[in-house]
Amino acid sequence: MWIVEYRELIRILTVSDLKVKYQSSVLGFTWSLLNPLLLMLVLYFVFSNVFRFDEKNFALYLLIGIISWRFFANATMSSMTSIVGKPSLVTKVYVPRQVLVLSSVLSSFISSTLEFMVLVPLLLFFGVDLSLNLAFFPLIHLIYLLLVYGISLILAALYVYYRDLNQIWDVLLQAGFFLSPIVYPISIVPEKYLSYYMMNPITTILEMYRKSLLYSQTPSAASMVFALAAGGLMLLVGTLVFRRLERKFAEEI
Amino acid sequence: MKLTDTKLIDELANGAHDGDGDKVILVEGLSKRFRIPHEKKATFYDHLLGIVKGGSYSYEEFWALKDVSFSIGRGETFGVIGPNGCGKSTLLKVLAGVLYPESGKVRIGGKIAPFLELGVGFHPELTATENICLYGAIMGLTRREIEGKREEILEFAELKRFENMKLKNFSSGMYVKLAFSTAIQTNPDVLLVDEVFSVGDEAFQKKCAQKIDEIRRAGKTIVFVSHALGTVRDLCDRCLLLDEGHVVMMGETEDVINDYMRIMETAKDKK
Repeated sequence: MWIVEYRELIRILTVSDLKVKYQSSVLGFTWSLLNPLLLMLVLYFVFSNVFRFDEKNFALYLLIGIISWRFFANATMSSMTSIVGKPSLVTKVYVPRQVLVLSSVLSSFISSTLEFMVLVPLLLFFGVDLSLNLAFFPLIHLIYLLLVYGISLILAALYVYYRDLNQIWDVLLQAGFFLSPIVYPISIVPEKYLSYYMMNPITTILEMYRKSLLYSQTPSAASMVFALAAGGLMLLVGTLVFRRLERKFAEEI
Repeated sequence: MKLTDTKLIDELANGAHDGDGDKVILVEGLSKRFRIPHEKKATFYDHLLGIVKGGSYSYEEFWALKDVSFSIGRGETFGVIGPNGCGKSTLLKVLAGVLYPESGKVRIGGKIAPFLELGVGFHPELTATENICLYGAIMGLTRREIEGKREEILEFAELKRFENMKLKNFSSGMYVKLAFSTAIQTNPDVLLVDEVFSVGDEAFQKKCAQKIDEIRRAGKTIVFVSHALGTVRDLCDRCLLLDEGHVVMMGETEDVINDYMRIMETAKDKK
């Protein structure tokens, strides 16, 4: 299995990716935290004064949504260029190319985990009851990782052939931001669209994060199974697409 | 997918029963085609534009390798020669797993170290030691394996004093020395070499030649691609002569080189 055989390379690439991201400085990480916090403040102002939702702890509701979405957006955007960004590892030597995608996704995953960890003191500060349901967090986070990695495999492979994919994906991400319950509660979605709306696995994952972190509730088994199935399916499809497209990477790069 | 699992090694070793010998590399009917499009389409936009304009996807086909078959036994040093553009490097890249063949079978039993270029993956901002770790990881070694080899590598490269210096401050000579030493110490079963022996000063070159000899005697397999017929004659047991992607001849190095020279002579006369 390539993950075991090349674990050292995955580790090195992930760490160097993180180093570049945080510029080897403490402030680097602070900046990456300020970004979601500032976005939360802006959105909080807009949505609590302009739109008004009856959501308890709306600021935290927003923040959990933003942090979760950031993992998806950052990981897919940066791993898309992971193959093209390391041409010598594709054309001059053989390493399983999934290694490049995985280490890029893992670096975003670690950033996201850190962001969630900073969230915990905020939860306490706002008087949220933290319960044992917090234990579901790692499980949900890992299911999310499967989903994101599967999608990243497809994007990274396609990007080798279509170099304007990042522009297209950028637009799709913006649409996705508003098609997922990040800045509004699901309750405002009209009944007739609800069944389509709930097909988005990220919606389910967002709801599970909120249940375990914010509402001290146990995520339902049905949503767990649905998210896991979606993650597994993406991983499968991603692997198949990647295997097929990988054959000509060295020629197309 | 590259085949390097132990099952395959067993399978190849057991091939001895069918009079196949102890084969490490087995290539059968290998063909590699390149498509060179008349108009490079690298984006969705280009493709859309192509559809709107109604232009067809016209491209030139180029067969870099055509129906190449050979096998290399364990412990053999095998040379691949031929004029420029005959498919030597393509063959090496297919063996390395970088290029995917259109048809044919490639089986490699064992760990393979491609020396297609020295210093692949080296990063100028990292120190010599860190680059050794990085390269080891690229070759699929574990951390402990790399740690165990680090001293040996620095010793061989004569760069012990500079182990904590960033690679960007290295001279080009030091760079290739480090690259060669790292690559050679990864302990592969099969070495793919694309004319990279002329490294460093004369003393270091001699040391490299000794090391290669040592590797050969240790029963490793070497596939050697070169224009330098002298070196091929010295090193290789058997040779393969390629021309325009076809196997022209395969056999004892001496015979193949003599034939190659004769073909070149007649080609020159024709012109």
